[in-house]
Amino acid sequence: MATARAVSGHPGEKLDDLRIVEVSLDDPEAFGELFSRHAPRLHAYIKRRLGPPLADDLVSETFAIAFKQRERFDGRAEFSAWLWGIASNLIAKHHRQESRMYRAFARTGVDPAEDGVAELASDRAAAAALGPRLAKALAGLSAQDRNAVLLLAWGELSYAEIAATLDLPLGTVKAKIHRVRAKLRKALPQEKFEEKNDG
Amino acid sequence: MDELDALRRMRTTLAREENSDQLAMRVGWRAGVSPQRRRRAFRLPSTFKLPMVSLAAVAAVAAGSVAVLTLPSDSAGTGTGGPGKVGAPGNALLVAATSVEKGKAGKYWHSSSIRGEIFAAGKSAADHYKIVSLQRSEGWMGRDGNSWWGNQDLPDRPWTDQDKQKWQAAGSPSQLEVPSAEGPVVMFLKGASTGMSVRPSPPDDDGVFYGLTQKQFAALPAEPAQLENALLNLKGHWRAYQPDGPEQPMRALRGKARSRALSDVAESLLATAPTPPALRAATYRMLAALPGVKAEGRTTDPLGRTGTAISLPVDSTVPLGLYTAPKQLGTYRRQWIIDPGTGTLLAVRDLVVTPPRGSRKLRPGDNGKPRSLQVKDMPDRFHKPGEIVSYKVFELGEWTDTEPKLPGQ
Repeated sequence: MATARAVSGHPGEKLDDLRIVEVSLDDPEAFGELFSRHAPRLHAYIKRRLGPPLADDLVSETFAIAFKQRERFDGRAEFSAWLWGIASNLIAKHHRQESRMYRAFARTGVDPAEDGVAELASDRAAAAALGPRLAKALAGLSAQDRNAVLLLAWGELSYAEIAATLDLPLGTVKAKIHRVRAKLRKALPQEKFEEKNDG
Repeated sequence: MDELDALRRMRTTLAREENSDQLAMRVGWRAGVSPQRRRRAFRLPSTFKLPMVSLAAVAAVAAGSVAVLTLPSDSAGTGTGGPGKVGAPGNALLVAATSVEKGKAGKYWHSSSIRGEIFAAGKSAADHYKIVSLQRSEGWMGRDGNSWWGNQDLPDRPWTDQDKQKWQAAGSPSQLEVPSAEGPVVMFLKGASTGMSVRPSPPDDDGVFYGLTQKQFAALPAEPAQLENALLNLKGHWRAYQPDGPEQPMRALRGKARSRALSDVAESLLATAPTPPALRAATYRMLAALPGVKAEGRTTDPLGRTGTAISLPVDSTVPLGLYTAPKQLGTYRRQWIIDPGTGTLLAVRDLVVTPPRGSRKLRPGDNGKPRSLQVKDMPDRFHKPGEIVSYKVFELGEWTDTEPKLPGQ
């Protein structure tokens, strides 16, 4: 489970990202390549956390900050971890907004984050089954716990990447996620984990 | 399913990645330009809520471009009839049953289908293109137990127009090695189709239908519950993967595994077997009564024909009975596309729910070395939720009294 999809696509990309940052010090337009590489996935992740309208804002804010502070990026960590770290801090600033959406979902069975998004009826049905219970549990998590478990489940980051992104020791991340998973597990009905429709 | 899987299934509609150019345009991101200026220049106030689709369309119009919502994931995901409209469970199946019930049977059921499997060439999600590998299969199955089958390889081709552009940018290679769960496979993107040579199947070759003799097949009941009961007695290797062992009756399965096996047999009854109209109708009705079968609204099949999507409660989409070890690292769902008006099964397609992740230990191979299933070897390693991994489209299904032309005749 720890070997989730790497944030940066392939091993050569780390150097490339760093080099692009360096080039962009003289040629700001070059930074656009980093947007192309990293924005779609980051955007999809933030959409899942906060809904589409806010995700648009936060992606542009994340890249604006990254661009402004690009001199400080020294290549010791992956560019992607640095970028996702900036985004995670911004998301944490919307902690209450995010909690409100989870609570509304838990209460009504309709997820405000998906408001206006074209979706399949089946997805709605699937969400209706466990979504509200999960949402209720998510609403009760601290910003840091929420970041950790959702970087794993929705961001598809590995434990090591989460540690780099949140600037925490690996052991702390593992312990945190272990604890959060136990909380989420309690929120789910046990019979949901067994096959029920025994025709 | 554990709590992490449950979490992964939440808000999957929001997990779709957008094209970076469209995204840059919509959020107005440009290096060195402050967000405030951008927002005034490009964005609607964020309190003004439009569906994302509309925002993307607005951006497209602004850029004088229309090539926005043409990815296969979109056509697969939302269909053409718009989202949210749920048919009564199985209603379309019941309509199909009525439509097909009164037809007349001929001597042979003549069918032709194309199977497409999607592979990916490239090293990263940002820099890859997808290729569809195609094979056609044509058959005549007689109610007298005789049958003829032929296969034909079609040239593989880039999956979407975008994939085609990337393939061309890579120099339009005619051969290409791509990863798969069973090791690298070679795609042939140019050249002609192989010939289709139709051959008679040996008589009494394992029965005519899942081990049933022609007589037993003809005796299948045309009442849905009785049909289901009869099919549950069919013996086979009904699991997506299991150690080698004796065949078991389908009745030994529970839950989704049973629904999967029943729907596989139902697919054969409708698509390839010489199934008389009343039995065909019973097949649709049986399916409509399975727990978890849902109608999902209008959509188009891979040939562009309009139909109704039917969602099946499957827990694996790998072919049944072939493997002794797991072959997938993602989770998937299966859809049928039917034309209720004619009672035709148009296509079956498998969509990603959760893209492949992690790895899985496998038993040592022939050389004794430890093996494992890795994301980097998965054909769908760059797929996003909702995208198609494989499909089968039934281009032809008709009764005929004419036997096929064989080579040399």
